[in-house]
Amino acid sequence: MLIPRKVKHRKQHSPSRRGAAKGGTRVVFGEYGIQALEPAYVTNRQIESARIAITRHIRRGGKVWINIFPDRPLTKKPAETRMGSGKGSPEHWVANVKPGRVLFEMSFPNETVAREALRRAIHKLPMKCRIVTREGGEF
Amino acid sequence: MSEVRLAAEPRTEFGKGAARRTRRAGKIPAVLYGHGSDPKHLALPALEFARVIREHGTNAVLKLDLGNGGSELALTKTVTTHPIKNYIEHVDLLLVQRGETVKVAVPVVVTGEAAPGTLVTHELAEVELEAEALHIPEQVEVSIDGAEAGTQIHVSELPLPEGIKLFTDADALVVNVVPAPTASDMEAAEAPAEAEAPEEEAAEEQPATAEA
Repeated sequence: MLIPRKVKHRKQHSPSRRGAAKGGTRVVFGEYGIQALEPAYVTNRQIESARIAITRHIRRGGKVWINIFPDRPLTKKPAETRMGSGKGSPEHWVANVKPGRVLFEMSFPNETVAREALRRAIHKLPMKCRIVTREGGEF
Repeated sequence: MSEVRLAAEPRTEFGKGAARRTRRAGKIPAVLYGHGSDPKHLALPALEFARVIREHGTNAVLKLDLGNGGSELALTKTVTTHPIKNYIEHVDLLLVQRGETVKVAVPVVVTGEAAPGTLVTHELAEVELEAEALHIPEQVEVSIDGAEAGTQIHVSELPLPEGIKLFTDADALVVNVVPAPTASDMEAAEAPAEAEAPEEEAAEEQPATAEA
């Protein structure tokens, strides 16, 4: 699973969920991609689960790119704990995804199979997404 | 590439409110600059400009009919689009003159079908080159018809028209044809990722009752 090798601060504030993606909004490496339509914190488990869904469906003959990295820690207090006593312990590693961001890209010779693989991956993600193509970036 | 005629109106009001009003009126806010002249703020017809970009690419040379009877040749420098809705929000235009050479990024298009059992990876989407403003190629085509696994096409092997100077590194890889990964290769790639133990996470986790 994706996890930062080293972090400067073990506990951070929750990242901002406002606004839209400033970059990484087009498919550049592969032919097809998954684009986020809502803001979300995508955990490393969800990224891994989506990646597995893609690779298991395409089986052979394709390539997958992951364009996001879960570099923000989210903390959580233990269950049934009184408030106070400091910040909880790190629970998740998340990527702060904003609308418009292309999360995954893939290249595969057969478009139907590629779209089905991406559709399965979308079901593993916590927000609304759509499938975009490299050519679809035109106006 | 020939010139494309486009009517442009000068803009008199600025800021996000004015820009939004311009967009609601079916126009795109644009700015025209270059050759040391003062920037001119323009509004371009949205549908016509989108058609020009779609048909001629982002390197189309525009002949802008400015409201006061004058006209200018311009090249699109930057097109800002909305991240989700995919409409054009703003355009930066660069003044050009006839006979002037300009540095532009031209898309590389792969044509043909590689040999069966191979995977074609398109490593470089565009190349940077210098060409005469009115003779910029729309795209650089590279054929991979029947290419076997192991075929690599570099920038130096791209077929370019006469009088064009290339700026991208000649050794850069454009297309790589590799054997298609088998199911066992994919599983092998999955296995280490699953087995990788998140050491830091384990170290940082505390028992649920620690702070109770």
